Amino acid sequence: MNLLWIELYKTFSRWRTYIGFGFIALIVLMTEIVMKLSAGEILGRMMRSLQKDFLIYGNVLNGWFVTGFIMNSLHIHIPFLIALVAGDMVSGEATSGTVRFLLIRPPSRYRIITAKYVTAILYTTGLVIFLGLMCIVPGLALFGSGDLVIHHFGKFGIVLIPEAEIPVRMLVAFVAAIWSMTVVASIAFLLSSLVENSIGPIIGTMAVVIVFLVIGNFPFDFFRSLKPYLFTTYMVFWQRFLDDPIPWQEIVYSAAIIGFHSLGLFFIALGAYARKDIKS
Amino acid sequence: MKKILGCLLWVFILLAPGFLQAQEEDIGILDDLQKKYSGLKDYTVDVNVHFDVEGFKAPDMQAKLYCKPPDKMKIESKKIFFLPKEGGTFNPFIFNREDFEVKFLERLTHEGSHAVKLKLTPKRRKPNGPQDFILTIDTDRTVIREMSTSTIEGKEVKARVKYGRFSDFDLPIRIELQLDFSFNESIEVKDFGQSPQPAKRVTGRVEITYSNYKVNIGLRDQIFNEKDSSKLRDRP
Repeated sequence: MNLLWIELYKTFSRWRTYIGFGFIALIVLMTEIVMKLSAGEILGRMMRSLQKDFLIYGNVLNGWFVTGFIMNSLHIHIPFLIALVAGDMVSGEATSGTVRFLLIRPPSRYRIITAKYVTAILYTTGLVIFLGLMCIVPGLALFGSGDLVIHHFGKFGIVLIPEAEIPVRMLVAFVAAIWSMTVVASIAFLLSSLVENSIGPIIGTMAVVIVFLVIGNFPFDFFRSLKPYLFTTYMVFWQRFLDDPIPWQEIVYSAAIIGFHSLGLFFIALGAYARKDIKS
Repeated sequence: MKKILGCLLWVFILLAPGFLQAQEEDIGILDDLQKKYSGLKDYTVDVNVHFDVEGFKAPDMQAKLYCKPPDKMKIESKKIFFLPKEGGTFNPFIFNREDFEVKFLERLTHEGSHAVKLKLTPKRRKPNGPQDFILTIDTDRTVIREMSTSTIEGKEVKARVKYGRFSDFDLPIRIELQLDFSFNESIEVKDFGQSPQPAKRVTGRVEITYSNYKVNIGLRDQIFNEKDSSKLRDRP
């Protein structure tokens, strides 16, 4: 437990850790203010195809809608912020020259690496919770509350979630988002445990996420056939909590895939670091 | 042979005016419709909408409708409320003979009442508006029983209306809509993870029930002038 506190202290003492929080605060507030100022235009664009066939009344552009919109837009960028810290977790010790000092202490490499991994996961959790709070609190203050209209872009799919159900659904969606992001933290952590420079794991993690996302979305049959084998396919399972009915089977399957990936990557990192020959 | 043809011609000449007059009388039902509701100055009604449309997952929606014929309407809802554009509201005043080319189609019996079927083509068409309406009008009660409409984009809406009697007016208590339209996403803000799909045909049924009518209560115009912030403005 002491080790974990030390790792948490070290991580949250670095200014780099707060880049992610600062970026989220800036981008979310900017988005919300811009959405507030040009609410009509944004809503018109998003609902144009529906407005051809329906008259729509009520506070569609409410805090929950804005939260869903930002979550949909940012789930591509959050991995970069996670990689920024998780990618530095182990390799940062080598860069700063403290790794040998760390490893001559009594705790085993397994305990050290586990404490570092748990810290990376807690940072990821904190970042997603912060994103959620930044979306919901100013969102509700600026736009008010109301039912949530989920429009599945590209096809005729509208889900209306009654206001009373939204807080619980959002809560589980954010828990699912945290679970999804652990896989990104795990990749960054694994790469970080293999090298002695933090830039590589950060860029490497982003490269993996972007390449997988691009491959998974190419409209060619070959790439479509690869989609089930890409972890990025399952990372958006948080969106399923805003569906009706909630597809529990799909959620459990996606969560399991993400969980296996995260654990697998962690154990590889654990094994690799235990056998690593520390030379400097 | 010439005699037979001559006789037929005489028969036609003799019957044609009567036939034309009958058709004109049938078309005149539109005027009767307007006349029937001329005393309807305003009304408010509670509306409940139930959607059974493929891809549309929502609980029943409720709103209060304020109407002041011929063209003032306001919907008030604390929650989000969707209403199909065509056939979602009742307004007999839109079928003004001067605005349409009216064609008589047939006389029929509709649910035990005499009825006529008319085709109304708007004289001035809106780009996305209906290209024609086919109305089945109950001539015994002078009410619209069915309305079918289609647009150039291929949207088809069929409405069946049931009426109740409120303050001497036949007003709808239930409108059942059959929708069939193509949905083509024209969204600009796209999630990175989605790719656009080709236009899809969407079909379904919408049931609109009306209750708690309050007729001719003297609604002020001001109610309709108040900026209705709850309604999304139509974009060009």
